[in-house]
Amino acid sequence: MQDLSLHILDIVENSLTAGAKKVEIRIGEDISQDRLTIEIIDDGQGMDAEMQAKALDPFFTTKTTRRVGLGLPLFKETCEICQGHFLLESHPGKGTKIKAIFPYAHIDRKPLGNLGETLLALIVGHPDVDIYYEHKRDGIKFSLDTKEIRAILEDVPLNDPGVVSFLRTYIFSQLAELGLDKEYII
Amino acid sequence: MTLQQIAEKIGLKPLCALDMLSKEVSSGYVSDLLSDVMANAKAGDLWVTMQTHQNIVAVASLKEIVGIIIIGGREPDRQTLLKAEAEKIPLLLSELPAFEVVGRLYQMGISGKR
Repeated sequence: MQDLSLHILDIVENSLTAGAKKVEIRIGEDISQDRLTIEIIDDGQGMDAEMQAKALDPFFTTKTTRRVGLGLPLFKETCEICQGHFLLESHPGKGTKIKAIFPYAHIDRKPLGNLGETLLALIVGHPDVDIYYEHKRDGIKFSLDTKEIRAILEDVPLNDPGVVSFLRTYIFSQLAELGLDKEYII
Repeated sequence: MTLQQIAEKIGLKPLCALDMLSKEVSSGYVSDLLSDVMANAKAGDLWVTMQTHQNIVAVASLKEIVGIIIIGGREPDRQTLLKAEAEKIPLLLSELPAFEVVGRLYQMGISGKR
């Protein structure tokens, strides 16, 4: 996976496979502290300790014993290759939280990639899931909650072409406010 | 052999710093881990990678790498192009996978000896 946005996409797809109805994606770019934090929190079925160990072991496989793919071990490796920290916290019946902390300026840290497109793909692909996206960059914050947007739209689905067009403009303009342009790849 | 000749022979698409294509090359390095390139590539190398981020230009500039071949039909990011032009590092695109690119370079006498 070439950038972090693709890892995020992969991990969120895991969450949805685990039955999540609400997914939080929190990005924190704390450049002055040389820290990039990515958190993905879901309310899916969660995992017990044994399942968590399996989820992180790339060799414990076959699709029948393994609900998730290689997404977690690969994300963990991406994190650790640049001296970052990777945390997995999960409770059966409650959900899963993944937190990855990267040294912002480490030469081997993968770039964030196109987070706007990633967020749009998730919303359009899963219009009925509550997706909360928060992006902080050196003190400035952008957040978006599809639950709130859905309430305003009433019967119009989130993947209606007009809504998608609006969301695209809105997301990229908000990311631009943070100082990230449309082809933002940091 | 010059970058221009290499580009013509294996069908690379030069994207920027076109005035640097007359540079001679006799050695190369292949890696996608930037810290590894910083540690092990040497001045004058031609670098083969799948990375497209602007950091590749920074590493190439630091190590005095003469050109970067981006493999697998990948497109460099816009910032990468701008930096490469500014730093005078030619970017050469290939549709081929890395193994093929490196194999052809080797046949042309470009070596990986350290």
